[in-house]
Amino acid sequence: MNALDLLLLTSLGTVLFSVVFSASLTGRMLLTMLYAVQTVILFQIDAGTEMVSSFGFEIFNHALGLSFNGLSWFFALITLGSAFFAAWYGLNQQQKLLHVGLSANVFSMLVLLSAGDFLSLFIAWELVSWSGVLLMVLGKQESLVATLKYITYAIAGGMAVFAGIILIYSWTGSLAFNAVTENPLSLSQYGTLAILLIGGFSVKMALLPFHLWQAEAYALTSGPASVFLGAISARMGLFAIVITMMHVVDLKTLDSIFLIPELFTFRDFLIWVAALSIILPTYTALRQNDARLLLAWHGIGQGGYMMLGLLMYDQMGSAGGLLHVFNYASCQAILFMSVFSILHRTGTTNLNQLGGLVARMPLSFLAMLVGIIGLAGLPPMNGFVSKWLVYRSLLSDGMAIVFLASVIGTLGTILSVYKLMHNSFLGQLRVEHEHVKEAPWSMTVPMMLLAIIIFITGVMPGISLELVANAQSAIGLTPVDYHLGGVVSANSAISGDLDMIWVVLVLFSGFGIAAILFLSAGKSRRVHQLDNYAGGHFLNANNQYQYSDNFYAGLMHIIKPWYRYSFKWFEGAVVSFVNLAAVFSRSFFNQAHMLIWMLVVVTTVMAVAII
Amino acid sequence: MKEFPVPVQTAEDPSVKKQSGNIFSNVFDELVRFAQSRSLFMLHYCTGCGAIELPPAMTSRFDMERLGIQPMVTPRQADILLITGYVSVKTLKRVILTYEQMNAPKYVIGICSCTVNGGMYWQSYATAKKLNDYMPVDLYIAGCMPRPEAVISGLRQLMEKIKIGEANSWQDYFKRYDYYLGNQQRLFGETWQTPTDIIGESKHYSLHTPETEGEHTRLLELHQRPLEPLEMRLGLSEKTEDR
Amino acid sequence: MHIGLGELLIELTLMPLVAFIVGMLMVLMMRRVGARLQRRVGPPFFQPLYDIIKLHSKETQISHGLIHDIGIIMAVGGYIAAETLLPVPGMNGIAEKGGLITLLYVMMIPSLGLALGVGQCANPNGSIGISRALTAMLAYDIPFVIVMAGVAFIYGTTNLVEVINIQQEGGIAAWGAVQMPFMALAGLFALQGMLGKQPFEVYVAPAEIATGPMVEMGGKYLGGLFVMQCFQLYTASVLYVTLFLGGGENWLFLLLKAFAVLLIPISIAFLFPRFKTDDLVRLMWKWPVLLGLIGLVLINYR
Ligand code: SF4
Repeated sequence: MNALDLLLLTSLGTVLFSVVFSASLTGRMLLTMLYAVQTVILFQIDAGTEMVSSFGFEIFNHALGLSFNGLSWFFALITLGSAFFAAWYGLNQQQKLLHVGLSANVFSMLVLLSAGDFLSLFIAWELVSWSGVLLMVLGKQESLVATLKYITYAIAGGMAVFAGIILIYSWTGSLAFNAVTENPLSLSQYGTLAILLIGGFSVKMALLPFHLWQAEAYALTSGPASVFLGAISARMGLFAIVITMMHVVDLKTLDSIFLIPELFTFRDFLIWVAALSIILPTYTALRQNDARLLLAWHGIGQGGYMMLGLLMYDQMGSAGGLLHVFNYASCQAILFMSVFSILHRTGTTNLNQLGGLVARMPLSFLAMLVGIIGLAGLPPMNGFVSKWLVYRSLLSDGMAIVFLASVIGTLGTILSVYKLMHNSFLGQLRVEHEHVKEAPWSMTVPMMLLAIIIFITGVMPGISLELVANAQSAIGLTPVDYHLGGVVSANSAISGDLDMIWVVLVLFSGFGIAAILFLSAGKSRRVHQLDNYAGGHFLNANNQYQYSDNFYAGLMHIIKPWYRYSFKWFEGAVVSFVNLAAVFSRSFFNQAHMLIWMLVVVTTVMAVAII
Repeated sequence: MKEFPVPVQTAEDPSVKKQSGNIFSNVFDELVRFAQSRSLFMLHYCTGCGAIELPPAMTSRFDMERLGIQPMVTPRQADILLITGYVSVKTLKRVILTYEQMNAPKYVIGICSCTVNGGMYWQSYATAKKLNDYMPVDLYIAGCMPRPEAVISGLRQLMEKIKIGEANSWQDYFKRYDYYLGNQQRLFGETWQTPTDIIGESKHYSLHTPETEGEHTRLLELHQRPLEPLEMRLGLSEKTEDR
Repeated sequence: MHIGLGELLIELTLMPLVAFIVGMLMVLMMRRVGARLQRRVGPPFFQPLYDIIKLHSKETQISHGLIHDIGIIMAVGGYIAAETLLPVPGMNGIAEKGGLITLLYVMMIPSLGLALGVGQCANPNGSIGISRALTAMLAYDIPFVIVMAGVAFIYGTTNLVEVINIQQEGGIAAWGAVQMPFMALAGLFALQGMLGKQPFEVYVAPAEIATGPMVEMGGKYLGGLFVMQCFQLYTASVLYVTLFLGGGENWLFLLLKAFAVLLIPISIAFLFPRFKTDDLVRLMWKWPVLLGLIGLVLINYR
C-alpha cells in the first residue's frame, strides 16, 4: 500500500466520517483536520515521478488503474487546500449536506485526478459532476433552479465525453491513455474527438458558450460550498482538457486542423474561445449587483486565462496557465469568504444596500483587499505573476490581438472588483449596519491564512512555480526556468525577466518612505463620515450619501447595447431545440411501434460506429 | 454686549513673537510660514455682487496666481474663505458649515461693505450684518464693491500677516466657541447645529479654554448627537455588546 | 552589467528624488504654459514646492479613517517604487528585474491606493470621480496596450534598458517614433488620457463633481496628491521618451525630450473644454485604437 492508496482511502474515510459526525462541532473540527491529514499524505507522494495505485480492476479485459503524476499532484494540492479552508470556514454551518458534499467532492476529484485511463476518467468525471450537485443545492429556491440548469449542462457534457470515449474505443480498440498516441488517427477523426472531448470538458470549465450555468450554480449556495466550488471545481474541466491534449489530440494536431483553410486552425479557434471567455464573462460581472454573482462571473472569466496559457503550450504560457489555477483558487476562495462573511453579518450581498463596512469588519476588508489585488493581477499579490507569464507568452508568440483581449479582461476585472470593494466596504456606513460585528474567528482565521498564502506566493512565486514545473514535466513540456523570486526567460523570442522579491522590496520601501513623509507632517484628526463636503448641505444620519448604483454610468452608456449579444440567445436556441425534440419523442413514445424506432436508432449508431 | 477683539490687526503684537532658542526650528518655522503665505488656496463663497470683481483679479489683468493664490473647490482644500457680499441668514448657515470644515490655519476675508456692517442691506430682515459675530474674520476689504486692486492689496496684507505669524484669528473660533455659537444660536434658533465637532477639535489643537464651552454649548449638547469618528473595530469589543 | 549593492541603493534613492524634482519643474511648466496661453504671468518658480510644503504643514489634517491614510501612502509610495523601474541615463535601478509590463502594473498601485483612500471618504463626489477615472483608464489603456505590444514586437524585448540601448545604437532611424509613427501618435493620445488633462479631465471636473477624488482631501492628503502629480507627469513623459524617442543619451537630452513631449498634451489641455465620460471612451476606442491597429499591421508586414 503506497501513499496514493492511503490518500484515496483517507479521502473515502473522510466521506464516511462526515456522514456520521458532521452534526457536531467537534466532528466538523475533526473533519477539517482530516483534510489537513490528506494534504500531509499528499506531500508523501513524490510529485516528480508517477505513482501507480495498487487499486485497480479489470473490465472487458482492460485493466483500469489509478495513478498520480505531477499534474495530478498540483491539482490535488489545490483541491485539498480549498477543501481545508472551506471546511474551516464552514465550522459553524450546521447543514450536514454541506460537509458530506464537500468530502464527497474531494474524494471524487481525487479519483478523477488519479484516473489512469479513459474509462476511469469518464467514471470519475461523472462522479465529480454529480457530487457537485450536493454542494449546489444548499441555498434558497433559486439555487435549485441553478442546479437543474447545471444538471442539464453536465449531462450534455457527459454525453459528449462519453461519445468521444466510445469513438476512441471503436477506433483504437483500447481505453488506455496511450491508445490514440499508439494508433494514429486521421485528421477528421482527431477533429471529431477534439470537438467531443474538449467540448464536453469545457462545459465544466464553463468556456464560452457553455458558461451560462456556472455563476448562479456556484454563487447562490451556502458560503463554504461557494468557496470550494468557486476555487477549484470548474478547474477539473481544465485538468481533463489537459489530459485530452496530452493523450488524444496534441496542439500540433489541433494546429493542423484548419477550420478556414490556411488561415484559421482549430487551435486558433480555441484561443479565441479562451479570449472571449475572458472578456464576455468579465464584463457580465461588471454589471452584477450581487457580490456573489459578481465573483462567480469572474471565476468564469479567469478560466479563460488558464485556458489561454495552456493553449500557448510553451514554457511560460503553460506555466502561467497552471500557476493561475493555483493563484486564482486562493484569490477566489478569499473573496468568497469575505463576501459570505458580509452576508453572514448583514444578511445581504446586494451591493446597493451595503457600504462603509470597513469600520466594522476590518479583517474581512483586509481579506477582500488582498483578494481583489490578486484577482485583478496587480503586484505584489500572486495573481500578478501568473498573468505576467501569460502576457509574456502571448507577446513572444506575436499574438497582439489576443494579448489586447486579455488586458481588456484585466482592466474589466479591476473595474468590477473596485466596484465590489467600494460598494461593500467603502463609502458611507448605513445606519442599519452601525452595530454590525466582525465575522466570527472561525471565518476570519482561514481568511487571514489565505491572505498570507496569497502574499507569500506573490512575493516568492518560486514556491508555487516548483509545483508548476513538476506539472509541466508531467505533461511533457520543458519546465519553466524559475527561481525563488520569479522567472528568467533567456531563450524565448522576447526577453524580459521578473524578480518579484526586488519589485516588492522596492514597492514596500516606497510605501515606507511615503509613510515617513506622511506621518511626519502633523497628526491627523479623524472625523465622522457625516462631517463631509456636500456643497454646504447639512448631512445627517438619514441622508444616503453614497454612490453605488450604476457605478460605471459613463461606460455602461456605451457598452450596454453590446450585452444584447451575450450568449442567452444560444441557450434559448438550445432550449427550444430540446423542447422540439421532446415533443417529437413524446409522439414517438405514444406510437405503438416505438420499439422499431429504437431498433432503427441503435442499428444506425452501431453502423456508424463500425464504419 | 460682550467685548470682542477686532481680529484685524496691523500693528505688531509683541505677545505673538515668542522666539524659542532652537535656531533650526525657527528657520523651519519661518520657511513654513513663508510657504504658507506664498501658497493660498481660496474658496470663494460668492454670495453677493462683490463676486464680480474676482474674475478680473484672477485672470490676465491682475493674475492672482503670480502671488501663489489660486481658486479651489471644496472647504477641505482651501486656506482662505472669501465672502464676497451680503450674507443672508440662510446662506450664513452654509458659510459657517464651510468655515468649520476648512483646515486650519484658515483665513476669512470679507469683501464688500455688506460683510462689514450690512452695507446697503442694513435694514433687511434676512441678512446677517456683521460677519465677525459668527466667525473670526482676518481681513475686511470695504467698498461697494472693492476694485480688484483693492482685493489684491488686501490679499497681500494677509500674506504679510501670515509671513510674520500673526494671522491666528482662526484660533479664536476654538478659544471662544461659546461666544460665536451664542451669536449663531440667536440668529438660527436653539436647535442650530452643524455636523462638525468643534469642541473635540479645539481639544485636538489644545486650544480648549474656559470660554470654549459655556451656556450655549450646553444648549447644543442637549440635542446634538455626538459625531465621534467611526473607529475601526473588531466585533469582539465589549462596547458593541452593550449597545 | 553588474553593480554593487551600495551603488544600487544610491540609485534607488536618487531615482525617485530626481523624478520628484523634475516632476515639480514639470508642474511649474504646466502652470506657466497655462498662464501664458491665457495671457497671464503665472506662478513663481518655487510655487509647486510652496504648495507642497504648505499642504504638509497645515494644522488640521482631516482623515476619514485608516484606509484614507493608507490610500495616500500607497499613492505616493507606489510612484516612488515605479520610478526605480524606469531607467534614466546612468541609472537602471531595478528596471531589468521588472520590465515594461511590471512597470505598467506597478503604476496601477498608486491609482488603486487613491481609489481606496477616496472610497473611505464616504463622499459620492469622490466615488463618482473614481468611477470615471477607472472608466478613463479602461479607455486609454486599450490604445496604450496596443502600443505596448507594438513596442515589444519591434524591439523584441519588454526590458526597458534594452529598448533604450537598441534605439541609441541605431541612431534616430531606430527611434520608435520613426519606426512606428502610427504607434507614436496613438501613444500621444493615450498620454493625454493618462495625464487626465482636458479634454479628458472627466474625473476631476471641478465645476461638476467638486474635483472628484480630491473632494475630501486637505492638508497632507492633498499634498500627497500634489506629489503624486509630479511623479505622474515625470513617469508618463519619460516613459514616452523611452519608448519612442530613444530614451536619454544623457540627462540634458532626456529632460529636453521629456519636457518637449509634455508640452504637447499641456498645450492641448488649455485650449479645450471637457468631454463627457462616454464621449471620452468613444473617442479613445475609435481614433487611437485605429491608429494603433494600423501601426500593428505595418509592423507585422514590414
Ligand atoms: S457692498 Fe455693495 S457691491 Fe458688495 S455686496 Fe453689498 S451691495 Fe453688493
